[in-house]
Amino acid sequence: MSEQIINENGQEQPIQEEPSTIERCLTFESGGLILFLSTKYVVEIINGYSVTHLPMVPPFIKGIINLRGQILPVVDIRLCMGKPEVEYTNKTCILVLDVDSLPMGIVVDSVRQVTDIDLTDVRPIPVKRQQKLLDGMLTMNDGSVVMSFDCHALAECRY
Amino acid sequence: MDNGMESMLDTYLYETNSLLDQLDEMLVADEKNGDFSSDDVNEIFRIMHTIKGSSAMMEFGSLATITHHIEDLFFYIRDKGIDSLNPEHKKELFNLMFRSEDYLRGEIAKVEEGSPLTENIDGFAKEINDFLKKISGTFVDGTEASSSEAGQSAVDDATDCPLPEDPEAECFLHVYLDEGVGMENLRAYMVVNALRECGIEFRYYPEDMESNSATSQKIIENGFFLAFTSQEDASQAEGVIRSQNHISSYELKSAPGKAEASSASVVSAPASNLDTAAVKAATPQMSASAPDTAPASPAAKSAVPQTHAPVKQSLISVNLMKLDSLMAIVGEIVITESMVTASPELQHLPRDSYDNFMKSGRQLRKLTDDLQDIAMSLRMVPISGVFQKMNRIVRDMKQSLNKDVRLTIVGEDTEVDKTIVDSIQDPIMHIVRNSMDHGIEETAEERIAAGKDPQGELILSASHTSSEVIISIADDGYGMDPDKLLAKARDKGLLTKPESEYSQKEALGLIMLPGFSTNEAVTEYSGRGVGMDVVRKNVESVGGTVTISSELGVGTTMTLKIPLTLAIVDGMKVVVGNSIFTIPISNIRQSFKVAPEEIILDEYGNEMVERMESFYPIVRLHDFYNLETEITSVEDGILLWVEASDRSYCLFVDELIGEQQVVVKPLPVFLSSFDLKNYGITGCTILGDGNISIILDILSLHTAAIENK
Repeated sequence: MSEQIINENGQEQPIQEEPSTIERCLTFESGGLILFLSTKYVVEIINGYSVTHLPMVPPFIKGIINLRGQILPVVDIRLCMGKPEVEYTNKTCILVLDVDSLPMGIVVDSVRQVTDIDLTDVRPIPVKRQQKLLDGMLTMNDGSVVMSFDCHALAECRY
Repeated sequence: MDNGMESMLDTYLYETNSLLDQLDEMLVADEKNGDFSSDDVNEIFRIMHTIKGSSAMMEFGSLATITHHIEDLFFYIRDKGIDSLNPEHKKELFNLMFRSEDYLRGEIAKVEEGSPLTENIDGFAKEINDFLKKISGTFVDGTEASSSEAGQSAVDDATDCPLPEDPEAECFLHVYLDEGVGMENLRAYMVVNALRECGIEFRYYPEDMESNSATSQKIIENGFFLAFTSQEDASQAEGVIRSQNHISSYELKSAPGKAEASSASVVSAPASNLDTAAVKAATPQMSASAPDTAPASPAAKSAVPQTHAPVKQSLISVNLMKLDSLMAIVGEIVITESMVTASPELQHLPRDSYDNFMKSGRQLRKLTDDLQDIAMSLRMVPISGVFQKMNRIVRDMKQSLNKDVRLTIVGEDTEVDKTIVDSIQDPIMHIVRNSMDHGIEETAEERIAAGKDPQGELILSASHTSSEVIISIADDGYGMDPDKLLAKARDKGLLTKPESEYSQKEALGLIMLPGFSTNEAVTEYSGRGVGMDVVRKNVESVGGTVTISSELGVGTTMTLKIPLTLAIVDGMKVVVGNSIFTIPISNIRQSFKVAPEEIILDEYGNEMVERMESFYPIVRLHDFYNLETEITSVEDGILLWVEASDRSYCLFVDELIGEQQVVVKPLPVFLSSFDLKNYGITGCTILGDGNISIILDILSLHTAAIENK
């Protein structure tokens, strides 16, 4: 896998004028969609933590967890996107993010892989939607469509 | 600005602020006695000197200049003895010093904000100089103008100037001061003193320069002379002179008889504050052993009190952030320790090893407890810093309001968490101002007519209980009239129930409502109607409460009760459904079970219960927070009678688990948009088993659950 990436990079380098548009991204599934997020925001992937429920907050705020002494808010992005709640399985995990030094955790259905995505290939989503958590889409080499997850929108509560 | 500079600036601000605090304390104390003690004069001189040095180093020109002038002034006073000033001058000096202090603080505030410093300081500097002239008796108008011309000409005919008669002298130093520096005789004398501190043997001419202000003209024109018996002394002195301020040039001359050895040279002296500071700092010890060349001179007196042995500081200043993180880690250690010792796997250990383990475990617990105590004590500072500031406020207001009030301070050694000290300073200041402005009677006659001591009294006291600090501010003034307060509140439309139903305590509490101000006229100090409600908010933000008691014609007492520390709380853990909540023990009055028939309902179905002949509303936590629980009937659960500030009610919970000391952690920033603080949730804590418990705020829970239902 890593060899392949190097080869790809090696081939693209002479053609590509700005190699910085390629970002390492983590792809994951939530609510039947495949999403991706730059790895620079992802601190770690955890599972098996018990989430403490908080009263007086919207349902997509699952609560808070104790991550080695740090109190972390946990958001279920499936609920954020208006999908129905599902039972958590052993594939369900929490991505610990650090969005401009604002730590938070998001619950996702499963994590797929880390891959390189050329940001210039990302197209805007051509549909008018209520929530703005996703801000772009592109087709992967294997033909699957992935959508860009905007963690800044989540951090600034623009959803 | 790079890091090194930044930390230097931090140190500078810290140092300067504490020096100014010290100055303030001294000034207020001295003014009370109506006199400066000679120790304090030395101390003020030292403070000014230090600030001058460090300001010059940091290149804060205005600070350096002003402190330099004050230093000059106190140099003179120190030299002459404070008794040489008449009472009127002293009074003026006090006012001048207070204003200087304010001025310096103002400049420091500008440094802190990063805004440019005042550039035009001549007015203030001149004021200080004028005062110095006044007390030294050199009240010559137009000195500035003439001195520059004189200085000009002095340089020209320097060589024509006759050397003073001194048969023993091997060589002379002929020194010229900068043009127009003012008070030339004193500056010359400062140079003389600096040399003497270095232990150099010499004589100076004119001999009467320090007492006779008329010599200043002579010095302007002809400079002054230092006579040395050996070349070595002279060259050593050259070094010192080079580092002095305000010296334009100096010349080494041989005595007439030994002219052949002359190596006359005119050197311009680089004036550098930094060097001066260094030289002076290094000299006090030397002056003690230095042979005094002029025992007859009055300056000999001044040399003695100046020999401070360097006091070794056993204090260090630490960034509060570091203490915060230390506190957090210690909290974690305490929790982890109980996690380890309570681990269920331990049960599988063989008997012997288990006992051994528990023994070590107990030892560890003792150590962690000690560690926690020490870590907490690090953050404790005496409240005297805040109280001292009140001294100043009372003093200023006394003058401007023309009231005679004495401030009595009790228990200023009481120690409080640093964050609390910072947040209660403003509330205390506000209450003190209120008391001075509205509390104490306008005139002494009024007080006499009321049968009181003509001098008003303000008592500021602090004391400890096991879990809280109690600060009270009492005045013996008018006292508050509940009827007047009620009438006023009615006018402003602040009443929430019929007037007759207000108890006296509630009526007094009205002044803490936003938009309430009893004084018709707005003064500089209080009466803008943004008073007591802000006080209450500030105090409540650190978990404290404000209570008022007042008797008409006798006086008013405001009492602030503030928890000792915010970081660690004694909490009661309660269960509601699957959640564990922590309620501060200090808020709990009682816990009890009730039978369903004891519950009283109002017309909306709100539940109440009678306790000690009063009725209290019941808040069902599971209802309020929408939690699922099997315990919904009153006899299955338990009621907690809680109280915060002046609000009291009962909480219905499933069960109590027990008491525990918990480390308060704030909720994540991300959640702040949900405004949980207003729904009774202030923070959370990590329990021994790693689970999280939510800490409830009894006061805001009351507001959310009962007042805004």
